[in-house]
Amino acid sequence: MTDMPTADSPTADSPMTGSAMTEGPATDRPASDAVPALQVAGLSLRFGAVHALDDVSFDVRAGELFAIIGPNGAGKTSLFNLLSRIYDPTAGTIHYFGDDMIRLRPHHLAGVGIARTFQNLGLFRQNSVLDNVLVGRSHLMQAGAVRTGLSLPSVRRSERANRAAAMEALEFVGLTSVAHLPVGILPYGTQKRIELARALSMEPRLLLLDEPVAGMSRDERGVIAGLISQMHHDRSLSIVLVEHDMGFVMSLAERVLVLDFGRQVALGSPDEVQANPEVIRAYLGEPVEAEAAS
Amino acid sequence: MTTFVQLLFAGVALGAVYALIALGFTVVYRSSRVINFAQGELLAFGAFITSWLVLTANLPFWAAFVIGAVATALVGWAFQVFVLRFALGRPEFTIVMLTLGLATVLSSVLPTLFGNFPRSNGDVFGSSALHAGGFSFFWVQIWTIVAAIAVLLGYGAFSRFTKYGLAMRSAAIDPEAALAVGIPLRRVYATSWFIAGAVSCIGGVFLGGYPSSVSPTISDVALLAFPAIILGGLDSPSGAIVGGFVIGVVQELTQGYQPRYIPALGNDFYVIAPYVVMILVLLVKPYGLFGSKPAERL
Amino acid sequence: MTAVMSPGLRRFTKPATVVAILVVALLLPFMLSDYWLSTAAFVLIAAIGALGLEVLTGRTGQISLGHAFFLATGAYVAGWIGGNEHMSAAVWLPAAGIVAGVLGAVVGPFALRLRGLYLAIVTIGLVYIGQYLAATWTGFSEGAGGRSIPDVTFGSLNFTNGFSLGSLSINRNGCYYYLALIILVLAMLYVRNVTRSTLGRSMVAVRDRELAAAVLGVNVARTKVRAFVISSALAGISGALYGAFLSFVVPQEWGLVLSIQYVVMIVVGGMTSLWGPVLGSIFVIGLPALLQDVSSSIPFLSNGSNNGVIAPSDAANIVFGVVLVAFLILEPRGVVGIGHRIAGLARRRAAAQAAQAAQAPPPDTTTPTNPTSHEEVQATS
Repeated sequence: MTDMPTADSPTADSPMTGSAMTEGPATDRPASDAVPALQVAGLSLRFGAVHALDDVSFDVRAGELFAIIGPNGAGKTSLFNLLSRIYDPTAGTIHYFGDDMIRLRPHHLAGVGIARTFQNLGLFRQNSVLDNVLVGRSHLMQAGAVRTGLSLPSVRRSERANRAAAMEALEFVGLTSVAHLPVGILPYGTQKRIELARALSMEPRLLLLDEPVAGMSRDERGVIAGLISQMHHDRSLSIVLVEHDMGFVMSLAERVLVLDFGRQVALGSPDEVQANPEVIRAYLGEPVEAEAAS
Repeated sequence: MTTFVQLLFAGVALGAVYALIALGFTVVYRSSRVINFAQGELLAFGAFITSWLVLTANLPFWAAFVIGAVATALVGWAFQVFVLRFALGRPEFTIVMLTLGLATVLSSVLPTLFGNFPRSNGDVFGSSALHAGGFSFFWVQIWTIVAAIAVLLGYGAFSRFTKYGLAMRSAAIDPEAALAVGIPLRRVYATSWFIAGAVSCIGGVFLGGYPSSVSPTISDVALLAFPAIILGGLDSPSGAIVGGFVIGVVQELTQGYQPRYIPALGNDFYVIAPYVVMILVLLVKPYGLFGSKPAERL
Repeated sequence: MTAVMSPGLRRFTKPATVVAILVVALLLPFMLSDYWLSTAAFVLIAAIGALGLEVLTGRTGQISLGHAFFLATGAYVAGWIGGNEHMSAAVWLPAAGIVAGVLGAVVGPFALRLRGLYLAIVTIGLVYIGQYLAATWTGFSEGAGGRSIPDVTFGSLNFTNGFSLGSLSINRNGCYYYLALIILVLAMLYVRNVTRSTLGRSMVAVRDRELAAAVLGVNVARTKVRAFVISSALAGISGALYGAFLSFVVPQEWGLVLSIQYVVMIVVGGMTSLWGPVLGSIFVIGLPALLQDVSSSIPFLSNGSNNGVIAPSDAANIVFGVVLVAFLILEPRGVVGIGHRIAGLARRRAAAQAAQAAQAPPPDTTTPTNPTSHEEVQATS
């Protein structure tokens, strides 16, 4: 089982680097090629008579960029909330790198290396960009009330290291220039990038992106697509993203899961999925040309 | 055995008052999701003004009672219309503190207007009692129970069978939908505060009946209704009413038996017994015995 | 800390300003009458407790009406260790803080299971249970009649007699004033350090969006408990000093009204600001003192001799209630928030004038689209 990191885990003091990212929060990691990042089997979620999800099964390979799409009400958000342990499934199992994930609560996720972004932005608008990103480092640093208040050297060192790591995440998304501005006055597209930076600063092995380009202009989508692609290649992260925008998804994802009315309609490469008549029918339209979302 | 029956009866009478107070709370909470921490002070206001009208203004008790209830109802109504209305949608802390602000103001206005000493509630029952089967039941307690049941049944009928009652219940379930259907939310809220004020006054007057009196600490007694509400769950008026009677009985029995059997807890443990019971219940069931966890949005 | 502060507040907390305030604070006892010096001492003592409540309610968002309970704990610990065990303040002051802090750690877990309203009610229950214990546990609190609390002593220095150094002489009031000042400054430094740390950020995250904070990796449970511990420890120290200064306390002191007064302090002062508690304390402690002082000249205020309509303490309470309501509705960020508004207005006017004077360059996509936005920045210190 992946041990949950203790208060001052080995990586807490080192600035986040590419290699630290692939090492992950714990010090021993099995070779992740064989074990899938996520194994979902027979997952169902029922609210009374409503079937939000019905018998969904799929794997996400380690290091894969996986997308979940489907029309409105297809169950994408329910699936996402199940993966981030906000909901408990009515049936089925979820395994994270081989370990049972259902017994985890939402506050365990950061410690095992799972980070997620939020559809409606979980940013704290009145704090600075840097402060928001720093919240993502919380699970890596937990000094007590006494040591913090006395501002002991160990606390200050840890704080400096975490700031450096947070700034690195901001640099990756290209936002170091606004690090000290309050989040609330920044444009929506920028805020989405800050969320990405925060998720990155958590040093995850699995990244769950909830509609990362919702409400964005074409240019902004291109920027985000580039960042996600870069994250995927540079840091060998496993990424699961939920999105509406077909073009965006098709150009980025290695494999796609299509949901409709809570049921699994198709699972395969973007080309396979686009050609699938069930998928076409679900969206009631022509397959979208896989033009780059730029 | 005599003691037990007498205590039980006193407990039911006390519980009837708590049930009334609890009703006042839940009426406001169910319509607007506001917990009125000033309920105790409203109760005190009602008791004091009724008593004053009888003892100083020399009005007959029933006239004073009605005027007192209307006056208290108006105070509650005014607070909603002139203050609380502007705090719609504010965080819970703000709402809690606003009602506590009202409580603070009332707690100092009352001794200023009426003086700081205990006095009779001015009712017509005094210390007269019904003697039956070897027991003595104070008339004021009998009438407390009768009045409480009448009010509870009356409110139940109002809630279920009138348009306004339906409007209030709809507003509680979904304010936006209620608005969309044309329910005048502001009037609903104002009405619920009016009812809460009136009900508080009734409770206060009876609470101040023999052998008790109307004193500045009467508002503290009203706060003991909180455990009743917690027990029943904030969402459930019937639960709150049941909780009220349970707490009343628990208190009277504790007052009667605790000093003899568990003296280590002090002489007046019954004063805080409801809170202790409440805390113990909440440890096990964080939303009360019948309450339910509200859905949490991410 | 890369704190985001409006220029106005930055001016206020620049080292030079802080030093100036400290100098004034140090000299104040020599400028005030004895009545106002004792009031000032009460202000500083209360500010320590208010600071604690700011951490718990203002910063971490936990509704607590139980502050009176922890204040009482501090006072009775001081009474016991100082009075019954005859030990110096060097023992009972920290002990008051520690005992109260431990009790805070016991109450803290309630906040984990209970949401807003329920937590508020439990903390109200705590106050009543505390008063009951104060009246009943006579071995410790000497019962309903109240108990005396000894003056602060540090070895040979006894506050009762004041303090003399050469020609400089400080009376009892002055001694308490300076001790409270030292402790308040230390407490503010402590809270400021916490604010700028992970714990401080976690507190704000828990306050603003608890579930999201948990998913982001914030340890919500530990954060809440730590907030309770810090808050109650500060309350304990404040209560201990308060008891010693008053010399005699009764269970009636520690009621719901006292808890509400502390909430008024932080609401009026400013709920997420280091200076808010001090400002609020000046208001809540100063107003009744002022009313008492002028009660002989104002006809409707009653004092010992005249037949006024209303007692000064009642008048003050009414003002507190009204002011609390007013601030909650109109300016929830308190006096500090008003300061921000003024600073923001000044900034906007200056920016408008600057923009008129020069041609503004075209904005690029990463700079804020609205530099004069009314989104006021939350200063964290």
